[in-house]
Amino acid sequence: MIQPRWRMAGAALAVTAAGVVLATAVAFAGAGGTEPQRGRSRGWANSGPAPDVDYENVAYDGRFTFARVRFNPTTWSGGRYAWGLDLKWNHDYPRADRRLAEILGAVTGVETQQEGSNIVTLDDPELFRYPWAYMCEVGFLELSDTEATNLREYMLKGGFVVVDDFTGWHWYNFEAEMAKVMPENRFIEIFADHPIFHAFFEIDDLTFGGGQYRFQGGGPPRYFALFEDNDPTKRLMMIANFDNDIGEFWEFADNPYVLIDLSNDAFKLGVNYVMYSMFH
Amino acid sequence: MPPVLESLFEFLFKYKPFVFARGEVVLAATAGSMVAAGLLLALAVPIVRQYRAIGGRSTPRSRLALAVLRAAVVALGCFVLLRPSLVVATAVPQQNFVGVLVDDSRSMRVAEGGAQTRAEQVSAWLDPGGSGLFGQLEERFRLRLFSFSDATRRLEGLEELRFEGLRTNVGRALEAGRQELGGVPLSGLVLLSDGADNDSSGLTETLNGLRDAKVPVFVVGVGREEFARDIEITRVEAPNEVMQNSAVAADVVVRQRGYEGETVELLVEDGGRIVSTVEVTLPRAGESTVVRATFVAEDPGPRILTFRIEVAEGEMVRQNNALETLVTVRDEQARILYFEGEPRHEVAFIRRALHEDGNIALATLVRSAPNKFQSLIVDPVEEFGGEHELFGGFPKTREELYRYSALVLGSVEADFFTRDQLQMIADFVSQRGGGLLALGGRHAFAEGGYAGTPVAEALPVVIEAPRPAAEPWYAEVDVVPTLFGRSHPVVQFGASAEESAARWETMPPLLAVNRVTRIKPGAASLLDGNAEGLEEAQAVLAYQRYGAGKSIALTVADTWQWQMHGDVPLEDMTHETFWQQMLRWLVADVSGQVRARLGRERFAPGETVAVLTDVFDDTYLAVNDAQVRALVTGPDGEVEALDLAWTVDVDGRYAASFVAEADGFYTVSVVAEGREGPLGQDVATGQATELTQEFFGAEMNRELLTRVAEETSGRFYTAANLDELAGDIAFTDGGTTVTEVLDLWDMPIFFFVFIGMIGTEWTLRKWRRLA
Repeated sequence: MIQPRWRMAGAALAVTAAGVVLATAVAFAGAGGTEPQRGRSRGWANSGPAPDVDYENVAYDGRFTFARVRFNPTTWSGGRYAWGLDLKWNHDYPRADRRLAEILGAVTGVETQQEGSNIVTLDDPELFRYPWAYMCEVGFLELSDTEATNLREYMLKGGFVVVDDFTGWHWYNFEAEMAKVMPENRFIEIFADHPIFHAFFEIDDLTFGGGQYRFQGGGPPRYFALFEDNDPTKRLMMIANFDNDIGEFWEFADNPYVLIDLSNDAFKLGVNYVMYSMFH
Repeated sequence: MPPVLESLFEFLFKYKPFVFARGEVVLAATAGSMVAAGLLLALAVPIVRQYRAIGGRSTPRSRLALAVLRAAVVALGCFVLLRPSLVVATAVPQQNFVGVLVDDSRSMRVAEGGAQTRAEQVSAWLDPGGSGLFGQLEERFRLRLFSFSDATRRLEGLEELRFEGLRTNVGRALEAGRQELGGVPLSGLVLLSDGADNDSSGLTETLNGLRDAKVPVFVVGVGREEFARDIEITRVEAPNEVMQNSAVAADVVVRQRGYEGETVELLVEDGGRIVSTVEVTLPRAGESTVVRATFVAEDPGPRILTFRIEVAEGEMVRQNNALETLVTVRDEQARILYFEGEPRHEVAFIRRALHEDGNIALATLVRSAPNKFQSLIVDPVEEFGGEHELFGGFPKTREELYRYSALVLGSVEADFFTRDQLQMIADFVSQRGGGLLALGGRHAFAEGGYAGTPVAEALPVVIEAPRPAAEPWYAEVDVVPTLFGRSHPVVQFGASAEESAARWETMPPLLAVNRVTRIKPGAASLLDGNAEGLEEAQAVLAYQRYGAGKSIALTVADTWQWQMHGDVPLEDMTHETFWQQMLRWLVADVSGQVRARLGRERFAPGETVAVLTDVFDDTYLAVNDAQVRALVTGPDGEVEALDLAWTVDVDGRYAASFVAEADGFYTVSVVAEGREGPLGQDVATGQATELTQEFFGAEMNRELLTRVAEETSGRFYTAANLDELAGDIAFTDGGTTVTEVLDLWDMPIFFFVFIGMIGTEWTLRKWRRLA
């Protein structure tokens, strides 16, 4: 069983961290203003169905298309949708998604869809057309039975999921939700010697990044994975960037306030994740 | 000639056509008869002239007709007076030999009509104490008896006939009979057989030899030409060797009489276990229908597959309802190179589909970025000589490429390769006999610039000029099997054709990014793709033989949808099955540098079996100076060593033989060594067993028997006219003969013609009121 270090922290720290995350998320949502806000419209609901979201998916044409998983966040985490200010699943959308596709197309031989990216829900059959998917803020993930079943099938059929942007007590929620998906599986921590960190770029140091979580008591990023048959020698189906937020560095790669090395390392991880999913 | 016409001929012309064919018609006139003819002719002139002066109601035309008739009557009389005769050679009684060859094979045991077997019928004819054929022949000739099946032997008495021969070779029997009686005056050979020849090698040469030696063969056809009621599995076409867990297709030819339109079940059994069942609607009487049975070869080793149709009520031959064939299921790994020029999910899904397949060793080489390769080796690594083998990129020499049995070419543009590499890929198929599978993709087919390249030449589809890069084409197509594909094992996804068809109806569409609509002449299409707005179907899966190998085009880009799609259940194995079947098919006929086989896969105990081996070097050029040795392991575990010698007539072919003494499987391991080291090894398997092929095609083969008689100036008989044989054989050129002159002047035909002409003249005269 995994024993993340943050479990030693007290509940007060968790509450504080949640507050910081919320504040940061709201702040970052506003920071995306240079990109057309095609992703969502704001509502004021604090419970009930998700606010209307108006986004434009691109048609499947066989090229690699960034697929971001949209989910309904928990109701207890500071209010569902935070009165429409924070949908959780859409952090860094769409700039992070497009940036990774651009970099992937530029440095590898992958044919990438760069005119757009897609948002898919876990209960949508369209999810299965994209064998690589990205989820963020899984500390607020709440899965219905259908979503849990679909996510399970998605991974067992051959889909690959990148989980990003979570820290501290988020783990509890994420682990509990994933227990609905694959009760027989457990997360296994992987290190720099795993093939995924060498699928394209040779990544020997995994300590970079961490983003705002550094200020919330998070340690250096750690990487946890779900494997086929719980066997670390078999296919990796899901990788969780715990205490890290590589999507953030993708999004702000062109921002002079973000260190270029951080973005570089984040892109390397993203490219490796895609390449690994295409080869294994 | 039909018997009725032959009897009519004999009635009118006094002798049978056969006698005329063997003799020469001459005019044997004496001096007296010539004088008489001259007088008759002299008398005829005034008689004919007087018709010019007759009156009555005659017209010039009727007078001319009367004159012609009268002249013809006179001419016929003159001809008869000149004594037409037939000169023939006839055998001198008891001074000539006749060889009697009796079919001693198992097919003679067939009982037709539920009464006498063919063997009993022949035994009755040849009863020395009776008045049948034997007695008639013995009156005029000295007889020598032979039995024949796969071998011919002299008989001292008919009691030596066993009717247990496992093969019939008519040509070899006739040749043996001629040679055995070569030193005695021979009037001819009498052949008693059903003509169910299942080993007709050398027949033409034998017949030419008999004709040159003037030895006529008088053939007695035994048995019915058509069974009243019978179902027969005539032939099974199945591969001799398959890889373990391959989908195997066997084409089974079924023929029947008396059961037209009925439906029967064809069962395929492997060691008593039913592996496939196919419903067969029986064709019209005498016609054949081809049924395709598909199954998976699961158990390794030599397998005896039995194709069986239950015996129906009233069948005349029961043994021909089941046919066995030997299929060797090889538990070995085929080495396949998958070269992908574009990182994409297809790579991962193909690898996963094959991951647990122990018979496919797939080396995947992906160009992950320009000039950067990702080499992924499927276990076991040692099969490929180490994991770094492909780090240098795509093979640059034939030796490197030819190590693989098949090449899967992904989305990689033609410009990536040198001209020599493109030619090498084409040669890999045509010369090495490897399999080539080209996948669809943004850098494949026309879009990859392959038009006009040697690879395009090898592929089964027509590669058109590429579209402008700014106008890419793609479509999601519903993939459906073609008419041909419906029964092809590679695209079967169920235990039965119906189950497979139902599966295809629910398969999700696939993406095509290369527009391919035309296949080449000689290629076959297995899958088509349809979509709204497409005027012509996309050729999704097509293949052709190209030289010694096979090339396949799969023009879609994301077969992984058959695994991932939301409509495909998690437990569905269609994608895995498709790829496993596809790659097994791709390497099905691919051999290594040493290719061993036996002259026959199934043979009778005691038979001599040929071991044939083709030997090539690592660029697949024939090697004539190799040392080739074989170890033959019999069913009792005994091992016999053989040295194979180059056959000279075929480059790289070596041969030897052994005698299969015992019942059971024989395994022949062949090792070849060249001047510079080992060239390779191969194993061939055969089975010594009691053969049943005599019961197949067991209807009397009139065509073959008639051919034997006609080409040797003999005659064909059945039970109906068998009594004529002994008389006919007297008219022979062979042996000690005398020349006989047979009168023809008294042939009834002359009388009837004479009466006819006189009667016509009389009628004409009465009609014209002449005297």
